[in-house]
Amino acid sequence: MTMKKLGLRLVALAVLAAVAAMLTPHSASAESTLDKILREKKLRVAIDVANPPFGVLGKDGQPDGSDVAVARQLAKDLGAEIEFVQVPSTGRIPALLAGRADVTIASISVTADRAKAVMFCNPNGALSITIFAPQAVAVKTPADLVGKRVGITRATLEEATVPKMAPAGTNIVWFDDLASTTQALLSGQVDAAAMTGFAEKAVADANPDKHIENKLLVTTAFYGPIVRHDEFELRQWINTWLFLNTQNGFLAATYKKYTGLDLPPLPVF
Amino acid sequence: MNYVFHFNVVLDHLPELIEGAWLTIRLSAMAMALGLALAVVTAYARMTGPAPVVWLVAGYVELIRNTPFLVQIFIIYFSLPALGIRLEANEAALAAMTVNLGAYATEILRAGIEALPRGQIEAAKALGLPRLAIFRYVILFPALKTVFPALASQFILLMLGSSVVSAISAVELTAVTNSLQSTTFRAFEFYFFATGLYLAMALGFRFALGVIYWAAFQRRAWN
Repeated sequence: MTMKKLGLRLVALAVLAAVAAMLTPHSASAESTLDKILREKKLRVAIDVANPPFGVLGKDGQPDGSDVAVARQLAKDLGAEIEFVQVPSTGRIPALLAGRADVTIASISVTADRAKAVMFCNPNGALSITIFAPQAVAVKTPADLVGKRVGITRATLEEATVPKMAPAGTNIVWFDDLASTTQALLSGQVDAAAMTGFAEKAVADANPDKHIENKLLVTTAFYGPIVRHDEFELRQWINTWLFLNTQNGFLAATYKKYTGLDLPPLPVF
Repeated sequence: MNYVFHFNVVLDHLPELIEGAWLTIRLSAMAMALGLALAVVTAYARMTGPAPVVWLVAGYVELIRNTPFLVQIFIIYFSLPALGIRLEANEAALAAMTVNLGAYATEILRAGIEALPRGQIEAAKALGLPRLAIFRYVILFPALKTVFPALASQFILLMLGSSVVSAISAVELTAVTNSLQSTTFRAFEFYFFATGLYLAMALGFRFALGVIYWAAFQRRAWN
């Protein structure tokens, strides 16, 4: 055999080997996210730090809040180092779906529409959505909203519920984050705003001269961590962790520390 | 990680997206016209006005060109009400875009005006043309022709920058896209489609500006 023929055969063999390697199913694709987390000892959690009291930025610039505390303890019990992926309210679910986070713990209220895109773990807390406004604005029933401008943040529970209970003729004004909605209310650009009762209290306490009042209760909801579809092992681990930490009182103590309220009995599903 | 694309969800909401695109086109076109008019006025004021006016125009241009657009929008929408000026979201967006374009267009126009041969203006004066006619025919028209490509680029940048006004709840394509993706959880599909729409609008504006250039500057035998 000449050198040229040998060289050609070697090249052909190398190409065949490469193609065979590419076509062989890669064993790592069968690994679940929970296995990956346990192997790498790293948990990426998507959080929203502009959403008091569930997620805030502490004075030292580090994330803090009731859901952030839950995330830290969860990662510790998993034996993994936590890596926070900070997202705005509109990015909480997209970050999870795009794979930038393994779980999102950012007061995501349980709704049927969201359940079509993600898997909910059992709830770890409860919140209420209220419409609030300065004292001078008269809103006693939903009918009073007609003709008024109501500020709402996108990708939140108020986005899913307020347009359904507000009568036609209400002017709903959309903002991309809670801070802008709050600023719109304080500067008078909207007559009323809708957000969680906790956030409303934070706004009212920070601006006593505006005499902000809670006007209407829209809904109450339970919220919990979310994972991607098919991540059953991770979901089950988180549910087990939630069960244990309901028994030992950690969830109740954390909730009370950040909200001042007692944690209501949490349903499981 | 397997992500299944659902572009049919985007097609279900096509009417809303097209309306959002139309609102962007309308907002941008109005801001382009008003911003250019503002730039002509400030360029004239800077050329012929007294010293305080020249300082005022220079201050306005430097302030707008050296601060972020988003911050300018926030000030107009959130801070002006404290001074008694309350603008509705779409009005505030138009005002911010006009003021922003006006500053950049003033500089572009000034460069075009300074590039004119001095002899032209002296000849016009020698011929006894009134001051406004000199500005209109001998200065502004040739300057606009020279800087038209730079102005066209600035106009396109303005239209693309209009996506930022969704932050103050003004309604245009990005605001509509944000609302749709937050309720359907199809972020990739919707943003991908919106990118395509912005690309189409930018190309459309370029073509329209090319037609305007031909109609205004090339059709007659001015040169």
